[in-house]
Amino acid sequence: MAESINQATRKGFLVDTSRCIGCRSCQVACKQWNKLEADKTNNLGTYENPRDLTPALYNRIRFVEGEGANGDVTWQFLNERCMHCGDAGCMKVCPSPGALYRTKDGIVTYNKEKCISCKYCVSACPFNIPRYGMDDKVSKCHLCQSRIEGGMTPACAKACPTGTLKFGKRSDLIATAQAAKKTLYGVDVLNGLGVVYALEGPPEKYGLPASPSIPLSIFLWKDVIKPLGILGFWGSIGAVLLHYVTIGPKKIDAENGEEKEEAGHE
Amino acid sequence: MSNYIERFSTSERVLHWIVTCSFFTLLLSGLGLFSRLFNGYFALFGDGRNAILVHKIAGIVFFLSSLYMFLSHKKDVATFDDDDKLWISSKGGYLSRDETHFNIGKYNPGQKLFAIFIAVTTLVLGITGLFIWLPTVFPRWIVQLSLMIHGLMFVGAIMFVVVHVYLATIGNPGTIEAMLYGDVRKRWARKHHPKWYKEVTGENP
Repeated sequence: MAESINQATRKGFLVDTSRCIGCRSCQVACKQWNKLEADKTNNLGTYENPRDLTPALYNRIRFVEGEGANGDVTWQFLNERCMHCGDAGCMKVCPSPGALYRTKDGIVTYNKEKCISCKYCVSACPFNIPRYGMDDKVSKCHLCQSRIEGGMTPACAKACPTGTLKFGKRSDLIATAQAAKKTLYGVDVLNGLGVVYALEGPPEKYGLPASPSIPLSIFLWKDVIKPLGILGFWGSIGAVLLHYVTIGPKKIDAENGEEKEEAGHE
Repeated sequence: MSNYIERFSTSERVLHWIVTCSFFTLLLSGLGLFSRLFNGYFALFGDGRNAILVHKIAGIVFFLSSLYMFLSHKKDVATFDDDDKLWISSKGGYLSRDETHFNIGKYNPGQKLFAIFIAVTTLVLGITGLFIWLPTVFPRWIVQLSLMIHGLMFVGAIMFVVVHVYLATIGNPGTIEAMLYGDVRKRWARKHHPKWYKEVTGENP
């Protein structure tokens, strides 16, 4: 992608899952700051609520429920949101310049006014994050862009009581976590995720893809079919013109004694 | 005695021009969706949202008219005889300056294959287009695959259309008349489609 990212000054999150207690302050703080409507949900026998991101829910806690050694319920919590990929599938496919874009802090944000509702970003996201609401425009976590520009931390990180969500310079956060011997997820994949996790088990256990990537068919469309297609189009134009001047058209020659009235201009 | 014979009826010509117009509307409204490189084409329709709307409407028109055109000519374009095989083996004489003669019916094998290709392309573009239209209704992998196939088939279609337009205009002088007012010169018919000429007129070409 042409959009360059400055890894040295890039900002992001470090999510230390071992600290999370599933209080969902982050969910509530996000709703409050971004003035998002409440979603109607159902009780499906789990404390996890809501069960998925919605157009009015930019981050949520995913509950990973398991069974302990003595039959107890075990819980692990994962803050789920836009990962602000260094190589973002959504930006790769977005046909409307300025609708999905990267800030100088390396954050993937969006301008609803420029969104043309094609929903390509929904298909191209490696993590299935963008949602479309009643306004038929993209919505997802924008890392409280306005707060960051005002020198504040995002609402979710501000509200987090345990220090699970740490916001700051991405390289510093990673260095600190690596010094503490944490198992990190998202340091290098997709040119580095803007949201890096410290996990207590394999990524799959948290519902994260082990090696996230831009979907293969999206890559083939944008990086193979598009350039070869443009080449092919001009190639076919060139081929027919070359045919015309080398081999030439199939002319109809006048025949003796026929169609005399046309012979004059053939 | 007239020098002309009818090749395409009025309804056939109108149908073909509906297909043509919807195809180029789809091309112009879809270019900006294919790649940001072609973002400027959105301006033809106002903005990207309008271009998508136009693309959907033109898509329905093209899908129905193109398929109907194929189905109404299926008998003529989907069967190949021995003379057609001869035409194919010598590439229709298009790769040589020498005068060539083939005993061809109403359509030559190149035209038949183009018709079949466009029919298949219409089906695939229509089906994948529907998935892309409603990306939140269908599973993500289907929509992802559709985006790729839609782009691939578009590229194939535009390349073959370039060849189609060339062969129907400057590549074969006299051919375009069949699509403009329906009548072609007998001399043209005797040269390009002698078997068809005999069927229609009863005369030996």
